[in-house]
Amino acid sequence: MIRHLFKLIWNKKKQNFLLIIEMLVSFMVMFAVFTLIVYYYNNYKRPMGFVYENVWAVSYPNNKLHTENEDSINMYYENIKRTVAALPEVREASFVSSNSPFSASTSNSNVTVNKVSLMANQYWVDDDYARLLQVHMIAGRWFSKLDDGSKNKPIVINATMKEKAFGNKEAIGQRFKVNEDEVVIIGVVQDLKDKGDYMKQEAAQFMRSGWQSRMLVSIHPDAGAAFESKLNKLLTGMMPTANIEIEHLTKKRVAKNSITLVPMIILLVVAGFLIVNVALGLFGVLWYNISRRKAEIGLRKAIGASGNNIVLQIVSETLILSTFSLIIGSFFAVQFPLLNVFDLPSGVYVTALILAILFIYALVIICAIYPGKQASNILPAVALHED
Amino acid sequence: MLVNYFKIAIAVLKRRKFFTFISLFGISLTLTIIIVLTAFMDYLLSPSHPDVKRERSLYVNMLRLEHTKKGMRMTGPMTFHYLNHFVGSMKTPEKVAIFSMFSPTNTYINSKKLVINVKHTNHDYWEVEEYQFLEGKPYTAEQIARAEKVTVISEEIKHAYFGEVPSVVGKFLETDNEQYRVIGVVKNVPITMIYSYADMYLPYTLSKEDKGDNKGMNGKYMAILLGRSKADLPAMEQEYQQVIRKIPVDSTMEYDKITGYADPYLAGFTRVFLGDDSGTGVTKFFLIIGLVLFLFMLLPTINLVNINSSRIMERSSEIAVRKAFGASSGTLAIQFIIENLILTFFGGIIGVALSAIVLWVFNNSQLIPNAALQINLMVLAATLGACLVFGLLSGVYPAWRMSRLQVVTALKSN
Repeated sequence: MIRHLFKLIWNKKKQNFLLIIEMLVSFMVMFAVFTLIVYYYNNYKRPMGFVYENVWAVSYPNNKLHTENEDSINMYYENIKRTVAALPEVREASFVSSNSPFSASTSNSNVTVNKVSLMANQYWVDDDYARLLQVHMIAGRWFSKLDDGSKNKPIVINATMKEKAFGNKEAIGQRFKVNEDEVVIIGVVQDLKDKGDYMKQEAAQFMRSGWQSRMLVSIHPDAGAAFESKLNKLLTGMMPTANIEIEHLTKKRVAKNSITLVPMIILLVVAGFLIVNVALGLFGVLWYNISRRKAEIGLRKAIGASGNNIVLQIVSETLILSTFSLIIGSFFAVQFPLLNVFDLPSGVYVTALILAILFIYALVIICAIYPGKQASNILPAVALHED
Repeated sequence: MLVNYFKIAIAVLKRRKFFTFISLFGISLTLTIIIVLTAFMDYLLSPSHPDVKRERSLYVNMLRLEHTKKGMRMTGPMTFHYLNHFVGSMKTPEKVAIFSMFSPTNTYINSKKLVINVKHTNHDYWEVEEYQFLEGKPYTAEQIARAEKVTVISEEIKHAYFGEVPSVVGKFLETDNEQYRVIGVVKNVPITMIYSYADMYLPYTLSKEDKGDNKGMNGKYMAILLGRSKADLPAMEQEYQQVIRKIPVDSTMEYDKITGYADPYLAGFTRVFLGDDSGTGVTKFFLIIGLVLFLFMLLPTINLVNINSSRIMERSSEIAVRKAFGASSGTLAIQFIIENLILTFFGGIIGVALSAIVLWVFNNSQLIPNAALQINLMVLAATLGACLVFGLLSGVYPAWRMSRLQVVTALKSN
C-alpha cells in the first residue's frame, strides 16, 4: 500500500514539488514560532521569586553633595533611608543599584567560579533588600550586621549561578574573585525574575553595599497618591538638586512585559495569517487534484473500494508528501540545538520541533479530509462515463 | 487584444470562485501587512510637525570618549558646553538647536499623579523645530539668559493639568516642587519623534544638572545642525569632523580618542545599532528590511504559484486549442501573466482598503499617543511595486510550465 502511494506521488513529482516546498517553509515558520512560544512559556511558568506589589522605586539622579568625604556621604544617605523607613505608611526601605527590578538597565561581569567562567548579573544592595522583596533563601543567609568588618567580602548568588558553578555540591563558604576582590559566598537565593515575567534563567550575584542610585520603598497597601506626593516633597527637601522620580513596580512590570509581548503578538498575527494562507492554498490544490483524478477514483470504487478507503488513500498520500517536507525541515531545525544558535536550551528546540511536526500534520489532515470526502462521493458510473 | 485578455480573465475568475477567493485572500492580506509596515516606517522617517526640516538637518546624538590604552569607553549625549562652544561655533550650519532628551518629573494635583516629561532647550531650538503654537510664543534668548522660570507646554499637559480652560498663558504650573510661568502652548508631538517630544519645554539655564556650566564632554544634550540647503549637508558633516579633531586630548585625561558624527535622521539611529566607524549602517538596515520582506512574501508567493499552476493546468484544453491554431508560447505566457496581474490588481485594491481600515483602527486605538499613520503616495507606490512583483512572481512559473505543454498530450488528456 505504502509503496503504491509512493509511486503515485513520484509520478506527479513536478506538481508535488511545489507543495513540498510550501509545507517545508510553513514548517520552518511554525518551528520558529513554537520555539519562541515554548521558550517564553518556560520562562513564564517559573516563579517570580519576589514580591513587587506595593513596592515603589525611587530614583534621584544628579544629587549633588557638597562633600567628597565618603563617611559623611554614607551618613547622609543612611539618614535619608532611616527617615523614609520611619514614615508610618512605609514598611521598609532599601538601597539598590540602578538595575533595580523591571528597569531597563543591566549590569554584569564575567567571573570565574569553581573553575567555571560565566557571565553574571551584578547587583549592589543592602541588608534590607531581601526582606523588602521577600526573596526566598535556598541556603545560607542574606547580608546582615554580622558582615561588618569581616575579612572577605560576602556575596550572595542565585540558584542558577550555583547550579552552573557547583552543580549539586555545597556553595556556601566557597571563595572566588570579583574584580580583584576575593569574595566568599554566604547565601544562595532563589532566582529573581526581576526583568519581567519572561526573563530567562540567568546567573546573578548580589554584593553588599551602602547607598546606591536608587531606593526601593515598600508601603502599606492603603497609602495612595497623597502619600506619594508627601514622599516626593520630603525627598526633594533632602535632595534639592536631584530629579526625584517615583515609579510603581506593578506598573513597571506591565511595561517591561509588554516589551516582550508586543513583538510576540505581531509575530503571531503574521504567522497566523501565513498559516491560514497556506491552509487555504493546500486545500484548493488538493481539491483540484482530486477533481482531475475522478476516473482513477471511480475505477477504484468500481472494483470495490469503500468511501472510507478513498478518504484514507487521499489523506495518507498527503501525509506522505508532508513527511518529505518534515524530514527536510527537521534536518535544518536540528542544526539549531546542535550548533547552539541563539543560546537556547536544546529542550526548547526539541519541544518546538515536535509541536511544529504535529501542527503541520494536523493542518495537512484537516486540509485533506474534505477533498477526500468529496472524492469518496464520486459515483463510479458517472466518473467512468465521463472518460 | 488586451480587452479580450481582460474579458477572459474575468470569466476565468468567475468560474472557479473558490480559487479566486484564495488568491485574493492571500494577495490582499499580504499587501495589507506590507502597506501597514511601510506606513509605519514612513511615519517614523518622513518629516512632520515640528521636525519639518529633516531634509537639510544633521543630528548629533552622541559622542564616544575612549581611552585606548586603559580600554575604557563612554558613549552618550553631550554637555551643553561642548555643543555650544565647539559645535555652536561652526560656520556651515545656519542654526544649531541644542536640547536635552526628555526626562520625567512628578507632579501631584488633586491627589493624582502626573508624569511630565521635561526637555531643556536653547533659543535656536524654536527656530529649527517649527512647533505650531496654539497659544503664546517661545521663550526669548534674553529670558534664557536671565534664567526666567518660563515654560512652553504641550496641549496634552494643558488639559491634564489645568482642565478645559480657554487660555493658560500667564498661569503657573508646578512640577518637581518648582513653579513655572506658562508662556506658550504647542500642538502635541507623538513620542516616536524622540528628538522633538516632550510635555514641557524649559530654558537650559533652568536645568538642575547642566545649566551650561559643566565643562566636561558627556552630558544630557543633543543637537540638530540646520544647513541652509540640502547641498550643505556633506560640508557640514566634514566641518563637524574637523571640530572633533580640534578638541584637545591628552592621554593623561580619562580619554585619548573622541569619535562623533553628525548624521541624517535615519543614519543617526542605524549607526547606534548597525553602524561602525566606517559606515552609518543605513545600507545594512535596508538589506535587513529587504530580507525580512522577502522571507515574509515567500510563503504567500509559493502558495499563489501553486494555485495558479493548478488553475492554468485546468485550462489545458483551451491552451492546446490556441496552440493548435498557431499561438506561440510567448503569446500564451503573456496572456497568463496579464491575467495574473489583473488578479493581483484586484487583490491590491482590496489590500489598500483593508489597510486603510487597519490604520484607522490603529490611529484611534491610541497605542502610540498622537500618532497619525496614513497611506501616502510613497506607501501607495511601494504597494503597487509589491503588487507587480507578486503578479509576476506568481505568474511566470505557471506560464512557463504551461507554455511547454505539448499540444497533442493536452488535447488527448481531455
